[in-house]
Amino acid sequence: MSSEIVLRTIGLGKSYRGRRVVQDLNLEVRRGDVFGFLGPNGAGKSTTIRMILSLITPLTGSVEIFGQDLHRNRERALASVAGIVEKPDFYLYLSAVRNMQIAGSLTLRRTPKKEKIDVCLGLVGLSDRAGDRVKTYSHGMKQRLGIAQALLCDPELIILDEPTNGLDPQGMKEVRELVHHLATEKGITVFLSSHLLNEVEQVATRMAIINKGNLIVQGSVDELLRSNANTVVVNVTPQKKALLLLQKMRSASVVETAEQGIRVEIDQKRIPAMVAALVESGCQVHAVIPEKSLERYFLSMTEQS
Amino acid sequence: MINLLYYELFKTYAKWRTYIGFLVVMVVIPLVLWGLKLEGGNFVQRQMGRLQADFLVSGNLFNAWTISQIIMNSLWVHVPFLISLVAGDQLAGEATAGTFRLILIRPVSRARILNAKYAATLIYTASLVLAIAVMSIGLGLLMFGSGDILVLEGGSLTILPESQALFRFALAYALAIWSMWVVASLAFLFSSFVENAIGPIISTMGVIIVFLVVSNLHISAFEFIRPYLFTTHESVWQKAFADPLDWSTIAASCGVLGAYSAALWMATLAIFKTKDILS
Repeated sequence: MSSEIVLRTIGLGKSYRGRRVVQDLNLEVRRGDVFGFLGPNGAGKSTTIRMILSLITPLTGSVEIFGQDLHRNRERALASVAGIVEKPDFYLYLSAVRNMQIAGSLTLRRTPKKEKIDVCLGLVGLSDRAGDRVKTYSHGMKQRLGIAQALLCDPELIILDEPTNGLDPQGMKEVRELVHHLATEKGITVFLSSHLLNEVEQVATRMAIINKGNLIVQGSVDELLRSNANTVVVNVTPQKKALLLLQKMRSASVVETAEQGIRVEIDQKRIPAMVAALVESGCQVHAVIPEKSLERYFLSMTEQS
Repeated sequence: MINLLYYELFKTYAKWRTYIGFLVVMVVIPLVLWGLKLEGGNFVQRQMGRLQADFLVSGNLFNAWTISQIIMNSLWVHVPFLISLVAGDQLAGEATAGTFRLILIRPVSRARILNAKYAATLIYTASLVLAIAVMSIGLGLLMFGSGDILVLEGGSLTILPESQALFRFALAYALAIWSMWVVASLAFLFSSFVENAIGPIISTMGVIIVFLVVSNLHISAFEFIRPYLFTTHESVWQKAFADPLDWSTIAASCGVLGAYSAALWMATLAIFKTKDILS
């Protein structure tokens, strides 16, 4: 992974009618990242993305894209950027090809070549419907068309705001695979905003969590989740007996019991001793699974904030 | 810029609402011409009233030129509505459709996008006025033939020779376009405030009605403001039929109208450049 920073927000802030929706936000996205931008609904994700893409003016702070200040050098900063903000909207009365031509001509300063449009539409599986008016498209097709128009100008950074919103499970899977393909095969940096943790967990390499407009945490997904690795699920029988024993242990703290086992917070070094104690008391330990769930991590971080 | 303008024109002329104005023109003008054809020369005789007793009228005064002028006079009140229908949708329509999110994240300045949209609006306005010209003169020539231009205005009668007809009408329609660009600019400005096209149409018509009332009411309290209202100069095209042509009055009216268009365009630019896109 390169250490070159392609997108940086510095002290970014925005208010609406006196209410701060984003405060002092400092993000860093490196080349090659699939950067998961997480937060509950209303956390300020879309406002941040709109500021990054110059749709709204920040109240404080600045945005740098590829080293260019967005405010002072907007055209150069956005030259290699593409994005979909919230849901992809198009000129419904025009065909997909026409929409691609309009979007592409704004970046390229000329009408994009037909072959290039065909390749992009083919990549998202819309070749057969290229000539149809977009008003006849389903939501999933519009989402795919949004990605196709984003790819049209060979961007180095793609910003996707909730790209799987409203898609069925198959559509969500396709978008995830596409994001993975863009990052790994084409080397495109992806900034992915979502409130679907599972989605981000599967594709992101780095992430940031914001809540109520504030940055809670930012870093590599693996590192952040490792810091949460003191929780394990102990799959043990009989569960009642094991539970009594674990509750008596000083080194372990029982969080809850669940179908798959007992969730225990424990220092990793003390796990062998815990297992030995359970076995000595006649319990059968089937598995000790380190918990590495983004969902748990996300909830703990947002609740703390 | 040419590429931007091309696609703005493409978008404008790909919408059905753009053709409402043309449809109205294509229905109303043949209808009026057909009615006048049925009426025969009675219409002109009625218009001339007692003047007929004082003058000996020879030749065909009930011709395409006279009729085109009559049509222009009667349609003039309604044309602003047809223009605001499209001009009011130029920015608000993008906000409603959410397509600002598609175009304003591109490496093109908002000023260039706005200018392309404004130019497309002006071109649409000109095309609608020219459609009125082509329909009324073209169809009029087919149905009524040519002749001298009979100009009846404020109880006075002017007859212009047929040889001047093309020049006079070219001037009249050029002035009409210039005047309607103010209406288009006004609707365009209102279009930058809101996220649906109804608001700009109603606001534009509202402003025109208020200004027209103030322009036409000869109340001394309004006298000082009347020369500065665009509605006072909106019918500048009628001056193309004066004999002799009063170029200084025409230039003064064009100056006021041009100043309105420029000011409205600059105000729209200032608003649009800093507008937060929340739709």
